[in-house]
Amino acid sequence: MMTKALKLCKSLILLVILGLTTSCWDRKEMDDLAMVMASGLDMTDDGQLEVTLQIALPTGIPSAVQAGGKKPSSVMVISAKGKNASEATSRLQQQLSRMIYFGQRGVIVVGEQYARHGLDRVLDTFTRLPESRYNSYFVTAYGTTAKEILNASYQLELIPSIGLNKILASNVSFPVKIDEFLNTLSMQGKSPITPAVRIVHKGSSKETFMVDRAAAYRANKLAGFMTPEELRLLRWWTGESKRMRFSVQAEPADEQFAGIIGAELLNSSSKIHISMKNGLPEVSISLLASTRSIDNDSRIDLSKISNMDYVEALMSKQVQADFEKMLSHTQKELKSDILGIGEEVHIEHPYAWKKIKKDWFDIYPSVPVTVKAHIKIERTGKTKAPAHLKTSG
Amino acid sequence: MTMKVTGIQVFWIIMCMDLGMTLVMTLSPSLEAAKQDAWLSIIVAGLIALLVALLATRAAHLYPGQTLIEYSETILGAWLGKAVVITYLVQWYTIIPIVLSQFTDLVQIMLLQGTPREAVALLMVLLIVYATYAGGIEGIGRCSEFLGPVILIMISFVLIASLNHIHWKNIMPVYADSGMAGIWGGTLAPASYLGHSVEYLMFAFFINQPRKGAPFAFGAVITAVLFVLMTTVMTIMTSGVNLSSKAWYPFFEMTKRISLFGFIDNLDAIPVVIWIASVFVKLAIYLFITSYGTAQFLKVSNWRTMVWFIAPVIFVFSLFPQNVTEATAHYLLNYWVPVALPVNMIGLPLLLLIVGKIKQGKQAAPAQLE
Repeated sequence: MMTKALKLCKSLILLVILGLTTSCWDRKEMDDLAMVMASGLDMTDDGQLEVTLQIALPTGIPSAVQAGGKKPSSVMVISAKGKNASEATSRLQQQLSRMIYFGQRGVIVVGEQYARHGLDRVLDTFTRLPESRYNSYFVTAYGTTAKEILNASYQLELIPSIGLNKILASNVSFPVKIDEFLNTLSMQGKSPITPAVRIVHKGSSKETFMVDRAAAYRANKLAGFMTPEELRLLRWWTGESKRMRFSVQAEPADEQFAGIIGAELLNSSSKIHISMKNGLPEVSISLLASTRSIDNDSRIDLSKISNMDYVEALMSKQVQADFEKMLSHTQKELKSDILGIGEEVHIEHPYAWKKIKKDWFDIYPSVPVTVKAHIKIERTGKTKAPAHLKTSG
Repeated sequence: MTMKVTGIQVFWIIMCMDLGMTLVMTLSPSLEAAKQDAWLSIIVAGLIALLVALLATRAAHLYPGQTLIEYSETILGAWLGKAVVITYLVQWYTIIPIVLSQFTDLVQIMLLQGTPREAVALLMVLLIVYATYAGGIEGIGRCSEFLGPVILIMISFVLIASLNHIHWKNIMPVYADSGMAGIWGGTLAPASYLGHSVEYLMFAFFINQPRKGAPFAFGAVITAVLFVLMTTVMTIMTSGVNLSSKAWYPFFEMTKRISLFGFIDNLDAIPVVIWIASVFVKLAIYLFITSYGTAQFLKVSNWRTMVWFIAPVIFVFSLFPQNVTEATAHYLLNYWVPVALPVNMIGLPLLLLIVGKIKQGKQAAPAQLE
């Protein structure tokens, strides 16, 4: 009698557990989801927020057999306006038969106008939404809107934003993920920086995007853009200098040679040291690198120690000058502490930092910075002087 | 019928109880108070936890043939003893619904936003009732013997997989920003969670060699503290203190960041395994000691009947906290840290230990005279 009741009870419990573990309230079927591959944020002229989503179309992605025929579009790009992110997103949702799903979002683009106005209204949703990932890259549109970027075509990948994602992920640019951006934004002694993307060959069949600049922020406002040359120095600074090349005018050009020697970075590092004078920081930065020369369009024979020293000194001097130029641009004009000098003061002189951190943005532009570059040529390639150099006479 | 657990099972039980919950629930308050020095807080918390373990094991070994319910009366007399027991029963009866609602909160926040709380809570209640009713402490011990290593492996995997995101500078500057006050502020929450070894008072009775349980309890506390310490350091270095101190569950956020070789990512499932396994062991142990303790206290002969009363009560109570703040922050800051930590974990074991020692000394003294 007792055992029968107990058995019944046990099987009931089992049934309930089985039923509950399926958790049918939260089922998400693939064909009920609209996979957002990239999202863009813009500010309209009347001050509203415009959200653009690039959504993958599963039917647009051809199978191996179909490939080559007439290509249907593989993405759908939609935009809506609202006073904040959730309002705009809910308007987008009303146009869609599937639920917007941010779990696969790889890229977040902000339009230049919105970035200059200041990134508010949206940043919180990137960390608050449970399905939102930190692995999304964060980019700023250069001279255009996020909507334009997401509408641009890209031929190498089926889904354009995957192309953008891969460009950002490769080391030729300057990848910043959303969590890094937010983390920097929350620091007192560092300004955020993102890569800047622009469209080239607009309107033609060769239309594509290019990431060759960086956007420097001051607090949550875009302060300005860094040129491609400055971007390269920034990559050096952050240690992402793989395959970075630069060249130096070693000799005046003549009819046979342009006098330029090019080198590729093998190993690079950067050091920063802060000393305090009268409660204010003084910064010295040193850039170290070993390089290999990859082209030598001059009469200089790199196998001779004295020539090598001469070229090394020349390169060091040039990098030093370039870095100083970049610094004065960011420090004096943009007033954006993208190198994190304030954070470095915080680390090296924590007690002094407590006194100046409130006014850091006013102090920073006038902080003296000295730059030293030290570049070594480690390898010269297979030849000494250029092989086609006519021996004198 | 007597239930027995082995020393190694005690190790895993205490480790599961300490580790999973501390990792998930206390990193956030600790990081908020001590910023990048939270790891120093964890070290201090670890020392407090060891003190708790020391007091609990010493007190429990005074009368190895009795449970807490019995020896607190033996040591302190009927009335005071009963008062001590009630203090512990309050702790046990309140912690179960809170842990249960913390569990449902996390599942709702991080995983299943559409699922009703009742369904998630009911599932866990049924599971622990089954484990407690059918297995008793022996079954739970065996469960934790299996789940404990799984938890350790999962945490190790998360830590190793996060190594490529390390930024050394996140942990700097050491000490200067938070100072003593900040570090101490970050200590209390993890200390109160790592102090769960105080439950040794209750289940020391069930160890097959009662006097040999202490090293296992210490080992468990040390292992848990080490893992919490490593995880805290990694969380700070991978996520930075600014973001992680604002998240409810920094440990989960760290695993969300994992990205290996460009194709292994979105590993959210791993901390869920850690979390559910440790919550299960913890709740099952609490349900067992609560049922057993209440039965002994009320002189009910079969403790298993108590499970049927306690389970519905904790289920209903777990639905009371209206939101995550009530369950996670209020209980922690208003009861667990100011009351449970100093009274239940340190004060009462110390009292039992001192009075018990004196009493035993008095009893031993006349014996020596003869």
